[in-house]
Amino acid sequence: MNTGQIISGAGHLAVIGWALFGGAFRADPPPAVVVEAVAVSQAEYAALMARHSAPEAVANVDTPEPPSPGEEAPALSPSPDRAPDASRPETSATPPPDPAPAVPARPAPTEVTDAAPAQSAPPEETAALVPEVSPRPQPRPAPRIAPEPVAPPAPDTRVDDVARPETTPEEGAAEAQEPQDATAPEEAATEIVPEAERPRDPAPTTSLRPRTRPAQPAPAPAPAPDLAPDSAPVETATRPAPPQEAPTPPATDREAVTDALAAALGQGTPAPSRPAGPPLTAGEKDALRVAVQRCWNVGSLSSEALATTVVVGVKMLETGKPDVASIRMLSHSGGSATAARQAYEAARRAIIRCGNDGFDLPPEKYAQWRDIEMTFNPEKMRIK
Amino acid sequence: MRSLLTLLAALTLWAVPATAQTQGGPLRLELTEGVIEPLPFAVPDLVAESTQASDFATRIARVIAQDLSGTGLFREIPAEAHIGRITSFDSPVEFADWRAINAQALVTGSVSVDGAGRLVVKFRIHDVFAGQELGRGQQLVGDADGWRRIAHKVADQVYSRITGEGGYFDSRVVFVSESGPKDQRAKRLAIMDYDGANLRYLTDAATIVLAPRFSPTGDRVLYTSYETGFPRIYLLDVANVGRRVLPTIDGTMSFAPRFSPDGRTVVYSLTQNGNTDLYTMDIASGASTRLTTAPSIETAPSYSPDGSRIVFESDRSGTPQLYIMDARGGEAQRISFGQGRYGTPVWSPRGDLIAFTKQAKGRFHIGVMRLDGSEERLLTASFLDEGPTWAPNGRVIMFTRETQGAQGEARLYSVDITGRNLKQVPTTGGASDPAWSPLQD
Repeated sequence: MNTGQIISGAGHLAVIGWALFGGAFRADPPPAVVVEAVAVSQAEYAALMARHSAPEAVANVDTPEPPSPGEEAPALSPSPDRAPDASRPETSATPPPDPAPAVPARPAPTEVTDAAPAQSAPPEETAALVPEVSPRPQPRPAPRIAPEPVAPPAPDTRVDDVARPETTPEEGAAEAQEPQDATAPEEAATEIVPEAERPRDPAPTTSLRPRTRPAQPAPAPAPAPDLAPDSAPVETATRPAPPQEAPTPPATDREAVTDALAAALGQGTPAPSRPAGPPLTAGEKDALRVAVQRCWNVGSLSSEALATTVVVGVKMLETGKPDVASIRMLSHSGGSATAARQAYEAARRAIIRCGNDGFDLPPEKYAQWRDIEMTFNPEKMRIK
Repeated sequence: MRSLLTLLAALTLWAVPATAQTQGGPLRLELTEGVIEPLPFAVPDLVAESTQASDFATRIARVIAQDLSGTGLFREIPAEAHIGRITSFDSPVEFADWRAINAQALVTGSVSVDGAGRLVVKFRIHDVFAGQELGRGQQLVGDADGWRRIAHKVADQVYSRITGEGGYFDSRVVFVSESGPKDQRAKRLAIMDYDGANLRYLTDAATIVLAPRFSPTGDRVLYTSYETGFPRIYLLDVANVGRRVLPTIDGTMSFAPRFSPDGRTVVYSLTQNGNTDLYTMDIASGASTRLTTAPSIETAPSYSPDGSRIVFESDRSGTPQLYIMDARGGEAQRISFGQGRYGTPVWSPRGDLIAFTKQAKGRFHIGVMRLDGSEERLLTASFLDEGPTWAPNGRVIMFTRETQGAQGEARLYSVDITGRNLKQVPTTGGASDPAWSPLQD
């Protein structure tokens, strides 16, 4: 046992002993409350107590003495009472004349004019009532008339088979011109509501939930550096430049890859091709789809044709217009050949009609939309 | 390094076909939502090739246009909007002129009178935006008195070529013409073109007549008459208005007749001893065969187009419902299960639908359902709609609609099986119980 342990043991024992016997575990006495006391004498104490004691009952009460008899009653006399003297007015033979009343002097006549006197409304009596609750402050009315004049709303376009813009006679024209109202064909419906299902109250009772946002399109892959070496394609309204010869890649490993791809695809030397550009974005595809659907009229198709899906191929010109001669039916399903022909003709009309002015397609991506296959599936519009 | 890249490229080729289809192939789109609107068309006056034919050139064109527009599937572009002029039947069409007014279909034609005084009508159908003719030109020849039928036939061809289904314009309707107050209404059989033209009465108003039905060839009519005090079935020849009563058992009531598809048999209801069942009768021999023996009421039978089955109305379940059974009788299968009462079923000429009258929640409906009762669709709703009949092409239904009140009157209406194009059929006075004929020869 070394010295450190001894010292430690002694220290611990000392602490424990102090804790046990030194009063470390003894509670402190409660603090004393000091109250001031005043010494009073017995007489003062009795006086204090007598003031607070109940009054004692009085046994003997002095009774008041009875009243003494008063004076005697007056004797009654039989003589009647004398009438009181009445003063009479003096009379005269001729009454004195009444004094003439004093006539006031007539005022001078004033000039009368035809003008009506100004009528002043009497001031209304208003009671100054103090409301118990102060009224809410009225919002200041907003001006109901726009501070600046605006043009009147355009009149409703007249329904007609042909869409014509509104024309007005030109000033200074040599020939007389007749004004013409704007016309537009009647809007089409996208669904059929039979009479039995038509709501009696046209007001909608529920609102449709907004359509879900289409899925985020996958980011377009970056163009390969060997196909678009200069820069990323820029969307311009001009026609794409004529295809340029692909730059000759250096004899590197890239060449080996190209050769391998060409060999695997059964091709010889890869033919130089114009830049295809990035693929159409989902928005561009949707725009084209919507543009064609707008003219895809299935209202005159038979039930069987409405159950027929046709795939139509079309070659597009660089102007965005379809090459009408190239429109062809690639395949059909769900109906007979006759029904497929009707469905195809409706699809062809849609492509030609709405492509008459050219579809809004990015010219720099012409290679992506030069050949299009459209599947016309009328499943959602089918007559069940 | 070179060999490694080559190997990598070779492995990549497994994915190349799919990638090439999407990146190197044509752009692929799927269209699922088009528009439903009448197809704009133009019918300029036919080219009159003789002075005698000039009067018909306009009238025939008008009837063609009215037929097509009346379907609700087509919309005529009026002549005032036409830019192009058709001056010769054989000259090429300037499609740009018709494209400019948004005409998608164009009908051109000519009319002439041959040596026998008959009308000769030639016509062509054009797809304006495709700039080509739809099918080949056709020619019709007929009497001048039948110029409306010629126009109807042209319209049938146009309708069939564009929609892909048969037309129904060259057809007739037999119905019960009504006149007089509601409690003393006079009824007689009448026949007219489907559009209300060429009205002709087949019977007088001396007795009550009900439920006329065309034969499959359209030359005969079955109907029920109270001429003897009891309802009896009569067979009428449309051409000479000759009629005869079909044989029946004394003391019974026979009604609700309908021809079989071959025209040789009649299926009808017969009430005997307070019970109503279905029977068939061979028209030639008059021999009857009982089809049902239920204690309930079986009535309103209608054959399927192939004649193998019969749809009818029965209250054997407690309320009137629709049942289908074999044409020779036997076990019937219930097909209507909706709320309400079902009656007057009629089998579609296409064979795919059953038209019926339904009463539910105080209103009457004309509806259609599949043969198994599925896909029930109510097309109309009013105070009283009843008695549907199919157009020959199975696309349109005509029925009776009666208005409410003491001054209420029955009229004929038609509606597309899609529920569109509900409209009144023009008739002279009240009309009920229509039956649509097949297309005329």
